[in-house]
Amino acid sequence: MDAFLASPIGILALTVAQTLALLVPLLIAVAYLTYAERKVMAAMQMRKGPNVVGPFGLLQPFADALKMLLKETIIPSGANRALFILGPMLTLILALIAWAVIPVNDGWAIADINVGVLYLLAISSLGVYGIVIAGWASNSKYAFLGALRSAAQMVSYEVSMGLVIVTVLLCVGSLNLSEIVRAQKTVWFAIPLFPMFVIFFISTLAETNRPPFDLAEGESELVAGFMVEYSSMTYALFFLGEYANMILMSAMTSILFLGGWLPPMDIAPFNWVPGPIWFILKIMLCLFTFIWVRATFPRYRYDQLMRLGWKIFLPFSLVYLVLTAFVLKLTGWLPV
Amino acid sequence: MNWTLVLPELVLALAGLAALVAGVLPKRDTSFAINMGVFGAMLLAAVLVMAQPEGTAFAGQYVSDAFTRFMKLLVLAGAALGLLVAMDWNVKEGLAKFEFPLLLLFSSLGMMVMVSANDLIALYLGLELLSLSLYVIAAFNRDSERSAEAGLKYFILGSLASGLLLYGASLIYGFAGSTNFDRIADAVSATEGVPFGLVVGLVFVLAALAFKVSAVPFHMWTPDVYEGAPTPVTAFFASAPKVAAIALLTRVAAGPFGELVEQWQQVLILASLGSMILGALAAIGQKNIKRLMAYSSIGHIGYALMGLAVGSDLGIRGLLLYMAIYLFTNVGAFAVLVAMRRNGRALEGIDDLAGLGRTDPAMALAMTVFMLSMAGIPPLAGFFGKLYVFLAAVYGGYWTLAVVGVLTSAVSAYYYLRVIKVMYFDAGEALDARPTSLSVVLAGTGLFTVFFFAFPAPFLAAAQAAVAALVG
Amino acid sequence: MTQPLLANYFPILVFLAIAAGIAVAMVGGSVLAARQKPYAEKVSAYECGFEPFDDTRRRFDVRFYLVAILFIIFDLEVAFLFPWAVALGDIGWLGFLSMMAFLGVLTVGFIYEWRKGALDWE
Repeated sequence: MDAFLASPIGILALTVAQTLALLVPLLIAVAYLTYAERKVMAAMQMRKGPNVVGPFGLLQPFADALKMLLKETIIPSGANRALFILGPMLTLILALIAWAVIPVNDGWAIADINVGVLYLLAISSLGVYGIVIAGWASNSKYAFLGALRSAAQMVSYEVSMGLVIVTVLLCVGSLNLSEIVRAQKTVWFAIPLFPMFVIFFISTLAETNRPPFDLAEGESELVAGFMVEYSSMTYALFFLGEYANMILMSAMTSILFLGGWLPPMDIAPFNWVPGPIWFILKIMLCLFTFIWVRATFPRYRYDQLMRLGWKIFLPFSLVYLVLTAFVLKLTGWLPV
Repeated sequence: MNWTLVLPELVLALAGLAALVAGVLPKRDTSFAINMGVFGAMLLAAVLVMAQPEGTAFAGQYVSDAFTRFMKLLVLAGAALGLLVAMDWNVKEGLAKFEFPLLLLFSSLGMMVMVSANDLIALYLGLELLSLSLYVIAAFNRDSERSAEAGLKYFILGSLASGLLLYGASLIYGFAGSTNFDRIADAVSATEGVPFGLVVGLVFVLAALAFKVSAVPFHMWTPDVYEGAPTPVTAFFASAPKVAAIALLTRVAAGPFGELVEQWQQVLILASLGSMILGALAAIGQKNIKRLMAYSSIGHIGYALMGLAVGSDLGIRGLLLYMAIYLFTNVGAFAVLVAMRRNGRALEGIDDLAGLGRTDPAMALAMTVFMLSMAGIPPLAGFFGKLYVFLAAVYGGYWTLAVVGVLTSAVSAYYYLRVIKVMYFDAGEALDARPTSLSVVLAGTGLFTVFFFAFPAPFLAAAQAAVAALVG
Repeated sequence: MTQPLLANYFPILVFLAIAAGIAVAMVGGSVLAARQKPYAEKVSAYECGFEPFDDTRRRFDVRFYLVAILFIIFDLEVAFLFPWAVALGDIGWLGFLSMMAFLGVLTVGFIYEWRKGALDWE
């Protein structure tokens, strides 16, 4: 058995098994996130939410998936066919492959590369391509405008996200995600870097085009933004991508600020619970906040959105970054 | 590290940053104050350049010696004069924005870095800082289609040249194993024979620099950009950046590739011949005086390059003197063009100078001096400039260069004399009164051009010291 | 698997292949499973019931372009900050101050663009 695992085929098989072990639960989680969103929002709005298909409507996501699958895939006559199909696929693929570096527990990352943060940032910034390609290839005005808006919005918030991540790196001294989690053994970064934590969370809302930053869809003006021409599974892929991205961003928030797999305090009974459970709980907390925000706040106007990103978040995170670096340098607390 | 060595550049950079904030923060218009501030910063930088110690900084990337001092003073003089020439024009054309002096300042900074560059990376950095500023000021009159077109043309061709430069630099780095000029020189002298890739890289770099000095066959952008850009901007384009690019060309050719004389000499001889001939012939038919000056500047670059192509100390000395004289004569001539304005409208035709001999004898006299100097009539400064490079060519045995130089000088005298003829023998209406700043520039450059023969010694000595520092 | 560095990235390749497989399978499955019956009205661009008029790929607001340029500048800044942040413990005060000088220049540019209205929409 050991010999088999050491051979090239063995390694490949092991990696495939690991990948599937992560991706299958992830896709199921995505499906149930849509269900959870509808249930939570319903509860907040004093409604019942989906309750027909299966007990408590638990089979609703699968019914939705089946419906999507059996719809006709419409490709508009003016569209660029190859790009039109590529757009949603790219969105989903990028949302999935980012998970390769996420450490679920100490040593439980499928690819424990030493530049994990950089990889995550790179993949999440590629996400904008899926949307721009879709908007361009649709050859429809709504789609085009939605894609432009969405691209501008995503790049605007990416800058402050990058600055926040740099601040975390200052406190860690490594780009490895597992190292970042281990550095939070004594205190989660959400506490000393609280303002950055808030900025990061809001930026993730903007990055995933979630309310109150969902102007790219803006149904009141743009019908559905860049996905207006999509139907059937191509439309579902955008949906899956968006929700997988939400989970990914929540995972990033947990790793960077909430101590990843670490328990809140290293004492009983907290440390009886295994690491992955803590990790999942933290992700769920973030996801709940995503939904909570959606149910609570009205949509931003586009000028407000840009003002928040460029005139508030960017200068603030830059100043906070410099201050953090200065304090760490002065006190000699920098990791070497 | 010796920070005092880069003091002039530091002063310019900090002044630029301060001016940027000072220009944009107050609600009221601060452009005049910033004009003055930038002018002061340039003068201060010039003083600091004179007091600059010699040596290298930034791990050998930056060098300061007699050569850089000579060239930097020229560059700063060109930029400061360009600013003086532009100030009044900008107010009259509604272009008095504080960005204008700033762009001049940043381009001067870029030129100073270029002049002091002792490394391919530093070279590129300086060149790009200069070029980016120039692209913007070429299109400074945004409401004018011609200006925007000039800026865009310059940008597209300029970025092509930058690409060539980078490509050549990467080849050189690949073959020499270093971007530092001294290391490259070591590598060149250490290897047997001449690696082909190195020569290709060198040719690419030379081509890119030839583009920046607008030598034939990389001159195509010059007439269009000169014509389209606002006149004071053209005045600046034709002066300081040429000096800096020539300085860079000289440093690259004589420094790291000094041993490859035979390789780059052919390129430069061809460029020099082509520029002289094209400058002389193409200018003849021009009706727009800015286009005329564009072709004239191409021709002058041809004469200057002759000094470098000869490859001797004498030739480089001639080149340096030529550039110094060209700079002042050219700024003077452009000051006349900037003053060409009737009923508030700027003019660009050669015909518009008609009657200047009667309506404004002083300016006509100044223009006559500049034109005759450019044609190389003794005893004006331009004659000595040509004399030194032709002498170097003759001593070096490059008869073709010298003969073609004399012939093209004779041809170009035709169109310079035509300008004089229009001024004195054609009838025309009076121009608007010229502003004081232009009178000052005209008087200064005119006196320099006329009386250069009386005191060439300090210039000769400075050029001699510069050559000694360069060739070592 | 001789090179440990590349070996670290091998799972990402596998991940990419499987993710791409899932995406293709979903779209392909739907195309196979569902009845496809396109006609001219169905495949025309959606414009709230009107016939599509005017070309989609036309001029759009230059501010999107401006945002893209600003993004490049600041994203590059972040890219420079990454190695600096990781190595700050080893590079001393000179390293700290060099980055501060860089950020200072950038801040001046930021102030300029702010006051010039490059960040204003509407």
